[in-house]
Amino acid sequence: MQAVEIKNLSFVYSKGTPNEKLALDNIDLSIEEGSFVALIGATGSGKSTLIQHLNGLIKPQDKKRSSVIVNGKSATDKKTLKTLRFEVGMVFQYPEYQLFADTVEKDIAFGPKNMKLASDEVSRRVKRAMETVGLDYAEFAERSPFDLSGGEKRRVAIAGVIAMEPKILVLDEPVAGLDPAGRAELLALIKTLQKQVSPTVILVSHNMDDVAALADRVVALKDGRIVADGTPKQVFADRALIKDIGLDLPTAARIADRLAERSIELDKDIITMAELKAALLSLFGKAEQQVDGNDESQASDGTREEPTGENSSLQSKANAENNIDGGDVKVVKYEGNTGGDADV
Amino acid sequence: MAFIEIKGVSYVYPIREGVSLKAVKNLSLSIEAGEFVALTGMNGSGKSTLAKLLNGLFKPSEGEIMIDGVSTADEDHIFDIRRKVGMVFQNPDNQTVATLIEDDVAFGPENLGLPREEIVQRVNFALEAVGMSEYRTREAAKLSGGQKQRVAIAGVLAMRPDVLILDEATSMLDPAGREEVLDVVRQLNSQGITVINITHNMEEAALAKRVIVMRKGRLAIDGTPSQVFSSSLLQACGLTLPPAAALAKELKESGVDIGAVTTEESFAEGICKLLK
Repeated sequence: MQAVEIKNLSFVYSKGTPNEKLALDNIDLSIEEGSFVALIGATGSGKSTLIQHLNGLIKPQDKKRSSVIVNGKSATDKKTLKTLRFEVGMVFQYPEYQLFADTVEKDIAFGPKNMKLASDEVSRRVKRAMETVGLDYAEFAERSPFDLSGGEKRRVAIAGVIAMEPKILVLDEPVAGLDPAGRAELLALIKTLQKQVSPTVILVSHNMDDVAALADRVVALKDGRIVADGTPKQVFADRALIKDIGLDLPTAARIADRLAERSIELDKDIITMAELKAALLSLFGKAEQQVDGNDESQASDGTREEPTGENSSLQSKANAENNIDGGDVKVVKYEGNTGGDADV
Repeated sequence: MAFIEIKGVSYVYPIREGVSLKAVKNLSLSIEAGEFVALTGMNGSGKSTLAKLLNGLFKPSEGEIMIDGVSTADEDHIFDIRRKVGMVFQNPDNQTVATLIEDDVAFGPENLGLPREEIVQRVNFALEAVGMSEYRTREAAKLSGGQKQRVAIAGVLAMRPDVLILDEATSMLDPAGREEVLDVVRQLNSQGITVINITHNMEEAALAKRVIVMRKGRLAIDGTPSQVFSSSLLQACGLTLPPAAALAKELKESGVDIGAVTTEESFAEGICKLLK
């Protein structure tokens, strides 16, 4: 089942003015339910424009040519738009700026109330959402969201989205501005959310370490076009492309490259710190003491564990992991990249 | 006397009647002209409050801050202090005043009453420095978050400040944009501008010459990156090691000791040396 099916989607800002900008250029993108997709690309590459199409915040300009189908519903269909907005949870950049109610409970309840749910269901969802994001109900429910710390505010904002129990969770730079401890907690939380609430996650991030640790598929945009689409290992293997689109490699890959410059050749496809650690330990003939990959500040505890089976929505993730050449993922070259890098 | 002198400074936010929050507590430190300082600490530790105290947006509740020998409480010189201490904030949307980008960057110098040629020159320099020249006649509102932030930095650079304070200013930029801005900042620092980079990014902190860590409104750690990252207080301050340093520590626990490293380059060097 496809959670998202986008065909021939183009979008032009300021059409017909000197400032005309092609933000999306003929995008075709399908996202299978249960996948964790990272959307990467430089500033202005079209990521934000693309995700705003997923719940109809932006409508396709050319309705005849383009189609955006989310959870089987057209994002342009006025009849189902409201339902769609509940099914696609959007956590925008700095979501804490959107807090407005005088208590944490009221703020989180706003979404479920709009869904016209019974009040005991609203209350159940608020409690569940707070528990999921790690906010103790007794301690926080009656507090003003404005008196909380930055990390706590962001949890309240995310709880407000997941209380609607969206099938698709879209997160735009969710950890930006958080301190290292807050980042690590939130990244771990996102993985939990995928298991417990929203089977499909779309993460927009500039942090390639987070992308490498969390995503099972990476879609890279440049100038409104998809220029790479594959597993994190496939996408980051194309060093020339990553540089060309103004991004960076994960720390582990950068270190591996620095070692390669010194004629210390490790596996070419190292992208996480856990993999780099294992490779270095084997280089020095040391056995790894623990294999759960205590990966720096990342949410790596459990991020690579197999799904438990009864949750079929996670099946595609298992496929993506077990089968690196997975049939549903491909690396797309675009004409600007002539692939001159011998390392690729 | 150092360019920035912070002497016994506390700052109290009034929240509502009878409730207040002491965000900075009895803080004393000095920063010399030309230093490159990273200021870090967990959310709510008082970093941003300190930044606003440094250019007189907030006045100390107790103590005194001297910028180039002038107290920030001295109302007669407050505009001088604000020109000397330029700030770029976290949220770029609150920092644009004009519709067109070049007008936005020109806003500061225009208010200084500079001749037109000087304004044009400063705007050109500033937009070039942040890589936004080609956008100069675009509308600021139509830019993405990262682009807006670069314009905000340009607006400060056009004031030719002595001190540049970046309050999480790179946190929303893409990797190339971040690198570009950090390059600009390093370049400005090498020309003598004092830089205070407030950041949660430990790799970025490791690039500074001095790292100041705050915890609950107080000064917790102050030293070189290698001193700060080997401090036993680091975890209590809600911070982590930069990734390369964290991996070096893990390797050491498994019997591969490359010494204390803070950067990827020194990590690679360390591995290389150990293999020889």
